[in-house]
Amino acid sequence: MKEFEYYIGPQHLGVSGNFGIIVKVDGDTIVEARANPGYLHRAFEKLMERRYFVSNISLICRVCVFDPDPQEAAYCMAVEEIANIEIPERAKWIRTMILELSRISSHLIYLGSLTSTLGLYTVMQWAITDRDYILDLLEMITGGRVYHIFMQPGGVRRDLPEGFNTAAKNVINKLKSRLTDYYNIIFNSNIFINRMKGVGILTPDYAISTGVTGPNLRACGYKIDVRRDDPYLVYPKLDFDIPVLHNGDMYDRALLRMKEIEQSIAILEQILDKMPEGSVWNPVPNPLKWEVPKGECFSRVESARGELGYYMVSNGTNKPYRVHVKGPSITHGILVLEEILKGQRLADISPILFSLDVCPPSIDR
Amino acid sequence: MYEELKIDLENKFSISFEVMRERRIKIIIDKKQAIPFLSYIKSKGFIHLTAISCVDWIEEGKFEIVYHLWSYSNKIHIILKTKIDRKNPLFETASFVYPVAQTFERDIHEMFGVDFKGNKRQIPFILEDWDAAPPMRKDFDPVNYSKEHFETEQYTEEIETKVRKSQRFRE
Amino acid sequence: MTGLGRFGQLKSLWVTYFVTGCGGIELLPVITSRFDAERFGIITMATPRQSDVLVVSGFITVKTLRRIIRTYEQMHNPKYVVALGACTINGGIYWDSYSTADKLELYLPVDVYIAGCMPRPEAIFMGFGHLMAMIKDGKADGWKRYKENYEWYKKNQDKACGGGKKWRVRDV
Repeated sequence: MKEFEYYIGPQHLGVSGNFGIIVKVDGDTIVEARANPGYLHRAFEKLMERRYFVSNISLICRVCVFDPDPQEAAYCMAVEEIANIEIPERAKWIRTMILELSRISSHLIYLGSLTSTLGLYTVMQWAITDRDYILDLLEMITGGRVYHIFMQPGGVRRDLPEGFNTAAKNVINKLKSRLTDYYNIIFNSNIFINRMKGVGILTPDYAISTGVTGPNLRACGYKIDVRRDDPYLVYPKLDFDIPVLHNGDMYDRALLRMKEIEQSIAILEQILDKMPEGSVWNPVPNPLKWEVPKGECFSRVESARGELGYYMVSNGTNKPYRVHVKGPSITHGILVLEEILKGQRLADISPILFSLDVCPPSIDR
Repeated sequence: MYEELKIDLENKFSISFEVMRERRIKIIIDKKQAIPFLSYIKSKGFIHLTAISCVDWIEEGKFEIVYHLWSYSNKIHIILKTKIDRKNPLFETASFVYPVAQTFERDIHEMFGVDFKGNKRQIPFILEDWDAAPPMRKDFDPVNYSKEHFETEQYTEEIETKVRKSQRFRE
Repeated sequence: MTGLGRFGQLKSLWVTYFVTGCGGIELLPVITSRFDAERFGIITMATPRQSDVLVVSGFITVKTLRRIIRTYEQMHNPKYVVALGACTINGGIYWDSYSTADKLELYLPVDVYIAGCMPRPEAIFMGFGHLMAMIKDGKADGWKRYKENYEWYKKNQDKACGGGKKWRVRDV
């Protein structure tokens, strides 16, 4: 049969965000696929060299739109390591709480989008509504729903308001009572078991050699997590489990994120009980004139999609010399996607793309 | 553990080894020994290449290629730095050792203009139909390019002076 | 268009599903069940051939601008454009970037601007309410301006996106 070339472009219901894929098709089977990023390129790394160290925080939370808080945490950890600043205890607990809230909200968008590509639109309505309760909590602390700009070198901006503990416990109880509904409608239903098991398999050797990290690697059988291997903030003092599954197909990747939501809820309950009192910010010099000493460092954080790294070089002035942002999707979205799509059918392109959890703005920066 | 690694590596290659803090090591190496070093260190357990970055030191006249390596078994991160010439930037590819290096080298080729010999896929990655200088170099000015190609909103004289006065710490 | 036609269109505005930038993250709560937009007749549609409104949500890069113009020209008259966010007005936070265009009015005729970074879902509803009032009075005529001043729009588009290249008919 003849081969056709299709352009699954940016204006499409089956692509997450603004991303393109070019496929060559023989009948209904894919012969070759090529990823086409670059629609969201804003040149962050060039813009960051022209702004002060503190002004950059309002830029970098727009690098990954779905969970913006790990970017702020990694940037602040990099600046604090070069300039040798310590942050107070209460600030570390507040930062950890915000990171876990952002992880739950990103996994809820994942569940809603994945099932809507397979035809079930109910879960999207449930998931985005449940995520809104978490955004209300974040608005109570920081003032903004989507972009928070709350962490800064030296700590966080302000303390938690009154009445926060009761509001947080209400939201956590509400989320816990909704989890059985999600299990019943997605993971116990025959349609999804037949559609998702055995599709889009990622073998363990290929995953390690192509640099896959995060929940996609834990669904292949490796128990690797940055919160255990390279600990930061308050994670050594908390008691949580790291779930691992073994098949590496779409069903396991979705089930693993469901279990991670449960673990994050357990972490949040511990944080609300054990948080100490104290100040939330150590004073740093006047941010418009602060000259950071010479040096370089690499800081690493576990975001909802994988391992996020910042490489920062400073040469003694009040602006950074070079910042390199390495997001988790640059390995998932280009080489891994092109390899997994060979031999699959046309109707499975967008479920596979959504199940790898590719975030296009963090490839293009 | 850092002492054994230091003695082992200094016997085989001529490097400068520094321990920055716990779990971070910085190694500076000459450009001819960089790819053999990567093959050797992969067999010692550093199987994960996190990223490859490039820094433009314009006063010295050199580009600096930085490899970030992580070992899952020893939990150590190595920052490996080597310098190449800026006027004629040629280097070798690392994708025969780590397959994931192909994407990062494609990105550096587009943004800085470095040519990696042996990388078969140095085609445009993010920019489309770009015909000016490589944009991440230090002598490319983004404000000039933006003013030439894109017009912006014109305000009246009074609003323009008010806005400029309130942003006096921006150049 | 007659009064009855305008009444029919403003009660059922269909939006092309094209997530062009950051602003798409606040379009998701608008179309689901907490802030429900379907009670006003607004739903998302997969193809531009059967929709009325194009929502440009957020910043505009040059690579996306070529696709936005092709999508806009495939829609049938009468059609409307809603610009979301501060980046479409004067460049916003990316004013000095070499890859984002600063002002959307030079390339496409805009009917309603919604300010904010990101605008809240309640603000998006107010913007659509203004659009419906403008349609009822007959003042939302961006598509007529595009037809009459096409030479001026084409000159600006060629300056930003590259004139001699064949992106208007090429399939990439």
